[in-house]
Amino acid sequence: MRSQRTAWLLLAPTLLILFVFGVVPFIYVLVTSFLHWNAFAADPTPRFAGVDNYRQLVFDDQFLYAVWITLRFAFFAVVSEIVLGYLLARLMMRDFPFKGFFRTIHALPLMVAPIAVGATWRLLTVPGLGPLPYLLEHFFGIDYRIGSYPTQAFVTTVIMDIWHWTPLVTLTLLAALSSLPREPFEQAQIDGASPFQIFWHITLPYLRPAILATVFIRMMDALRTVDEIWMLTGGGPAAATRYIGLYIWRVVFPKTDYGYGAAISLITLYLTIVLCWLLYVSLVARKQKKGSF
Amino acid sequence: MQHLLARTALTAVTMMAVTSFAHADFWSDAAKPYAGVTIRGVSESTPPSNYVKDVLAPAFTEATGIKVEFEATSWDQMYDKAIKDMEANTGIYDFVYIEQDIIYSYLARDFLVDITKALADDPSLKAPNFDIANFTSFIDYFKDPTKSNDLFGVPMEAFIKVYLYRKDLFEDPEIKAAFKEKTGHDLAPATTHEEYSEIAEFFTQWGKDKGIELWGTTVQAHSGHPSSWYEYVESVAPTFGVYNWGINADDNYGASVANGGEMNGPEALAALEWYLGNLAIAPPESTQSTWDEVAATFAAGRAAQGLVYGENSAWIATDPAKSNVVGKVGVALPPLSEGVLAEVEGGTGYIGYYDGGAFGIPHSSKNKEAALLFLEYIGQPEVQADWAVAGARITHTATYDDPKVKEQDAKVDGYYTLMREKGPLFAGAPAYPFHAQVREAAAPYFYEAIVGQISAQEALDKMAEATEAELTKLGYRK
Repeated sequence: MRSQRTAWLLLAPTLLILFVFGVVPFIYVLVTSFLHWNAFAADPTPRFAGVDNYRQLVFDDQFLYAVWITLRFAFFAVVSEIVLGYLLARLMMRDFPFKGFFRTIHALPLMVAPIAVGATWRLLTVPGLGPLPYLLEHFFGIDYRIGSYPTQAFVTTVIMDIWHWTPLVTLTLLAALSSLPREPFEQAQIDGASPFQIFWHITLPYLRPAILATVFIRMMDALRTVDEIWMLTGGGPAAATRYIGLYIWRVVFPKTDYGYGAAISLITLYLTIVLCWLLYVSLVARKQKKGSF
Repeated sequence: MQHLLARTALTAVTMMAVTSFAHADFWSDAAKPYAGVTIRGVSESTPPSNYVKDVLAPAFTEATGIKVEFEATSWDQMYDKAIKDMEANTGIYDFVYIEQDIIYSYLARDFLVDITKALADDPSLKAPNFDIANFTSFIDYFKDPTKSNDLFGVPMEAFIKVYLYRKDLFEDPEIKAAFKEKTGHDLAPATTHEEYSEIAEFFTQWGKDKGIELWGTTVQAHSGHPSSWYEYVESVAPTFGVYNWGINADDNYGASVANGGEMNGPEALAALEWYLGNLAIAPPESTQSTWDEVAATFAAGRAAQGLVYGENSAWIATDPAKSNVVGKVGVALPPLSEGVLAEVEGGTGYIGYYDGGAFGIPHSSKNKEAALLFLEYIGQPEVQADWAVAGARITHTATYDDPKVKEQDAKVDGYYTLMREKGPLFAGAPAYPFHAQVREAAAPYFYEAIVGQISAQEALDKMAEATEAELTKLGYRK
């Protein structure tokens, strides 16, 4: 009995912090989502709105488009990062000249703040100033203007995200690869398994927990990306890169529509949870049922 | 140039010192209870703001012992920080930048300290040389007519958005001859939109033919940033006779023609089509250009003409460290549609925004008295001339006649004279407390038109519809 009380006492500070910084803001946002509340309305006092804000977002084309392009962004960015991250991790498992230097350089983007990443890429991509438009025009004849062409802007934001976050995936998978037991691989080689069979039946199952954790982290990050995109494109051209995080920012801050912004935030949270759950079910729960990893 | 800058800074500091000495008793006496206090302010990073940060704030500290932490940041961040601070009543900032168009929102929310009342309540804080009568009529925008015209902000910058053109190119004999041969008339600064487009097309082609990086016009057309929206509603639409964003405040805030507005009317269509048409003859960076980049494009010598915020005119025309077109800048009024000038001179409408801002004190400030002294300090006549030279802004009537300003006026092709003489043709933003809200509702369609996803007419129709829906939601439109 006494030890239980001690355990609660030791947990209390953490629980208190979680409650103050997690539960209270969540409840506040939840309550706000049921209000009509705009600081610059004719009547700025919050009024009960029922489910109006939730009903509105179902018919909000801009919101639905933001969800769609955010999912596309997250898909392309995360898949590319996992594939590239794995390949780079495999590369770093081998010995080659200047390996330590390469590993350091490769991890540098992780240390840069997202807003600085956005600013750097903005300078890289401005026609007349940045090297990218010049080089693409000079060598490939590509008229590269992310302020004018939506597809170019979308692809550039994906590449920027890949550039920024692939090192995280590499380092995580490198740690996982380094900790793999040698026996199953040696056994498979003795049995005459091909490299692909070894990858598919041994490496991948062993790496699955690390890959899943990385995918979850990266997907959640990609779904709420704001700073880099805000700096690089501001969500443009038109709505081409106005991802959900940026859309929420516009609704809540410049537009000061707190009630509607809160509703979108909660729906976005819900979508993120559902996506993660679907991913978990499809990649883990089903395998567990089959009795594999 | 470095010598010139050093000399200007030295003169400014000397001026400050003389000013401080002249009113030494007042500043040191009035500030005595607040010596050692630190006041914090936030403003947009503009030439006038940077002058406050680098020159006026340190001089104030020296005169009073009150420290000033001045944050000059981007336009978006400035609003974000100031509004969040005042909304949450946190008291981080003791003075904030109030852009002329946001004053109505701030007054509606009662965010700001009544400066007139504060000075009347405590006469010991009233600086002997701070007098509202010294200011130009721009100060009127920061008075609240519902509160006996009390003052809520001390103007720190005021300017107009002018038509800048490359004088050297316009006076080049070879170019003049080529232009005459092509068009049949002489090359001169445009007075109409048709002339402007013709000149822009000519210079774009000239740049191509000569293999030089020169285009006909700047365009502020970043479709992920509000600056493009403001170029249209502030500087383009009024020159076609569409005022107040095309919203009819006297008729239930109608925006569409069907509801008494002009947002999607024929003049607005002509304005938007002209604006969009310029994109094809503008430098490729135009769709990534906000207000700052437009000035940079012109200063880099990449455009023959453009609509540029006047606060940038001084450095573009005089600072070789930043500008490639020093001594080559011509200044004129923006091109106008037929009948607009007569309409404006007759008292209806305006040809562009008389833009600028003031510093005000939020109710949430914990150092109101010290901030009030700072606002008076920057409102003294003695500091105005050097500030006007550095930042191409004028808020005091007498500043126009200062010898330093007259000297600078000659270097910027009479920008200050133009502002003085033609300023009345410009006007502040419409007195709406919902600028940002309507902008965020309508601008997405404007951005789609910039990218070419929808036609100009479709964009205007959607903008009008979205504006009316937003105003209904906000409770202004019944």
